Amino acid sequence: MISHSVKTIFKKELKSYFATPLGYVFCVIFLFSIGYVTFESGKGSFFVLRQADLSSFFRYIPWLFLFLVPAVSMRLWAEERKSGTIELLLTLPVTVREAVLGKFLASWAFIGFNLLCTFPIVLTVLYLGDPDIFVILVGYLGAFLLGGAYLAIGCFFSALTKNQVISFICTVVFCYLLTMAGSPPILEFLSTFFHRYFLNLFESLSIINHFETMGRGVVRLGDLWFFAVIILAWLYGCEAILDEKKAS
Amino acid sequence: MKRQTGNYIIVTLSALIMVLTVYIGTSWLKRVKVDMTEEKLYTLSDGSKTILGKLNTPLTLKLYYSKTSANKGTEGLRTFNNYFFYVRDLLEEYVAHSRNNLKLEVIDPRPDTKEEEDATTFGLKKFQLTETEKYFFGLVVENNVGTEKVIEFFDPGQQENLEYDLTRLIYSVINPRKKKVGILSSLPLLNEKLTPYMAQLMKMQGKPTKESWIITKLMKEFYNVSKVEDDTEKISGLDILLIAHPKKLPEQTLWAIDQYVLGGGKVLLFVDPYSIVDNVLSRGRPGGEKKSNLKKLMAKWGVELEEGKLAGDRYLSGIGRMNARMQPQRLLPLLECDQRCTNTHKDAISYKLGSMTFLYPGSLIVLDKEQKEKKIYPLLSTTEKGNSYKFSTWKLSDPKFLWDDFKEGNKSVQLGYKIVGKFESAFPEGVQIKRKGKDKKEKEVLLTGLKKSSKETAIIVFSDVDFIHDQFSFKTTIFGVSLNNDNSTLVLNSLEQLSGSKELMEVRSKGRFNRAFDVVNKIEFESEATTAKKVAEINTSIEKFEKELEQLGRMVNEGNIGLIQNEGIKKKKELTKRIALLKGELRDVKRKGREKIEELGSNLQYLNTLFMPSLLFIFGIFFHFKRKKGIKKDS
Repeated sequence: MISHSVKTIFKKELKSYFATPLGYVFCVIFLFSIGYVTFESGKGSFFVLRQADLSSFFRYIPWLFLFLVPAVSMRLWAEERKSGTIELLLTLPVTVREAVLGKFLASWAFIGFNLLCTFPIVLTVLYLGDPDIFVILVGYLGAFLLGGAYLAIGCFFSALTKNQVISFICTVVFCYLLTMAGSPPILEFLSTFFHRYFLNLFESLSIINHFETMGRGVVRLGDLWFFAVIILAWLYGCEAILDEKKAS
Repeated sequence: MKRQTGNYIIVTLSALIMVLTVYIGTSWLKRVKVDMTEEKLYTLSDGSKTILGKLNTPLTLKLYYSKTSANKGTEGLRTFNNYFFYVRDLLEEYVAHSRNNLKLEVIDPRPDTKEEEDATTFGLKKFQLTETEKYFFGLVVENNVGTEKVIEFFDPGQQENLEYDLTRLIYSVINPRKKKVGILSSLPLLNEKLTPYMAQLMKMQGKPTKESWIITKLMKEFYNVSKVEDDTEKISGLDILLIAHPKKLPEQTLWAIDQYVLGGGKVLLFVDPYSIVDNVLSRGRPGGEKKSNLKKLMAKWGVELEEGKLAGDRYLSGIGRMNARMQPQRLLPLLECDQRCTNTHKDAISYKLGSMTFLYPGSLIVLDKEQKEKKIYPLLSTTEKGNSYKFSTWKLSDPKFLWDDFKEGNKSVQLGYKIVGKFESAFPEGVQIKRKGKDKKEKEVLLTGLKKSSKETAIIVFSDVDFIHDQFSFKTTIFGVSLNNDNSTLVLNSLEQLSGSKELMEVRSKGRFNRAFDVVNKIEFESEATTAKKVAEINTSIEKFEKELEQLGRMVNEGNIGLIQNEGIKKKKELTKRIALLKGELRDVKRKGREKIEELGSNLQYLNTLFMPSLLFIFGIFFHFKRKKGIKKDS
């Protein structure tokens, strides 16, 4: 089903994360930060709540991903464009779609690897009590899809510009907007310009609302649909931009 | 250039299509879901579906939510926005299972509109957000003849009870006839003379009120509750008889209960070997027994309350104190039951209820295991390490003695039974009573009646009555009175099963779930056990020194004031110093108990914060050098 070219690009791209310090730095920062914020002293702290679930862990995932995923995605195309290797890649017998898919899947797998590396927290909660393991698994699925959605947006902005910093900032801003789409102050601000129907439309884009439902252990087809559409649409946008660059 | 413009148009159109596809798709597909939670917390239970299936009249659900006002509020209102979506989705599920009998209207009441006026008229709770904006979040269920029921406010903290609240509301609209419950009690569970208006009036005047217990008020939402006098000769016209703490009932009342049961009447019984509520309420009236039993009748029903014994379990004991001066400690008579007490029995009345508090509960035993005409189902028990223990009143005030004297058992002690079947009379020859005749002279009268059950019936017995009291079942929050634990749920479940509305009980039996850190609780328990002795020793010393100080103060009189003052000041200083020293020692002992948990927390924090990053860091360095070596070799 997945073409040979996609597999080749996927392998090459995934290897590149571990061939340079970047991948390790990302992993170390992510794992340290998520461990720290989960256990940070406060009312919502994992050890203070004394509940055998991972709500304190999943609560911070969107906010950490908001900065870390754009850091992964910013180099996907911007670096290729800046160093000129994009021309080489696009002259190879691979379609733009295959290249986009290969790179995206590799980065997504890398995000997945990072989530897998958080397994000590699952072991911790299993040791401490009797958690609902399916709720935890669905939470992880939600986190993986959330990472995919942020990554697809990052792919798009990485293809749009040569500058990695601009790509990073644009991705953070867009992801932030989608994260905060259900936030009352933002909806109130938008209500001064737009009609109520538009607000409903905007609110339906709230990533957090969909992520939180999964965090409770419920897999709704609507949520899966949301993540699928977001990922595919932004990847399609990325492909269209690269197509345009290739043609010009 | 044309191609570039084309691509930009495609991207813009794609963005628009994406937004619309997301909106339409999520709206259409949100009802298709898989609930992966172990307890199926987000799926309508069979009970709700059955009740909805029985609907044959149209009902309108009016969900009031001030969405626009909420958006003008703070970020904190996001929780309420999310909860609103959850409530709305769940109500849509109700509509989907109602065979078109339910209609949902979502209303956003804006200031100075008819909707806002209606919301206020229906009695929904409102919160003033700004000078003009009011915040509503409640539900009104109406049928076509004008009957309306209301949930005044949806509290996100009560999410686990939401389905029950909604189903109960619908159930109460479609089942207007309330079943009759009679209360026969030696405790003031029901005060029929005091209306809510009078109670309010008396409160405003600062007068003490003797209101009905909250459990009775809660029962009144579903049942017609009336009082049964404790000298009655006949009980009739009831669906359920609730007997709480029956103390020394006269023969005629026992006879009435016996005949009521044999006639097919259902009973919910609370007996207690020692009622702390009774003790508190009868303060000022010394003497009198605090125990209750229905030994004669219960013998015929197949169970018995062990005389002079309490049920205990160190592993279920709660933390508390007997009086204000006492340090909080584990108390054997305070039994905090969780799912270990209920889940083994798999009875819908208690199954999965995970948080119940009992005080000085007794031990129930089955008299004859080979019961032919009746079946006895256990509902509630201690863990296997529980045991029953003898007590006397003086022992009860010394928790340390009770704790040390307790011997762990190897078989759980039963706290509740359900008995279903046919029974024999406890008065086969009838009963002789004294009755006043028309001439106001007392005459001996022989009452005779049924000797055996005419039809099957059910009896539920619990060996504690204190757990239904307000103090141990409810708490007061800013949203009003709310459940403190599953105590009241256990009572209502029992009534519901006895009243036959099993569907509603199926909804409630989801219970609330508390997935606590078992390991931490175990460490806490063990460390408390090891430090308890030391704590008790130190506390005794402190008490002794404090008494000495008090005594010294009392010795002062005009003659010895000079002497005592000098000596007293010296001794006082010395004693205060010693008390401070002991208190410090006590802090140290307690700290040691906490240290283990803190250590575990720190270790887990290090594991989760540093282990994987360090491992990856080492791997990174290793591979870096390995690659470098490889490159050097190649060159």
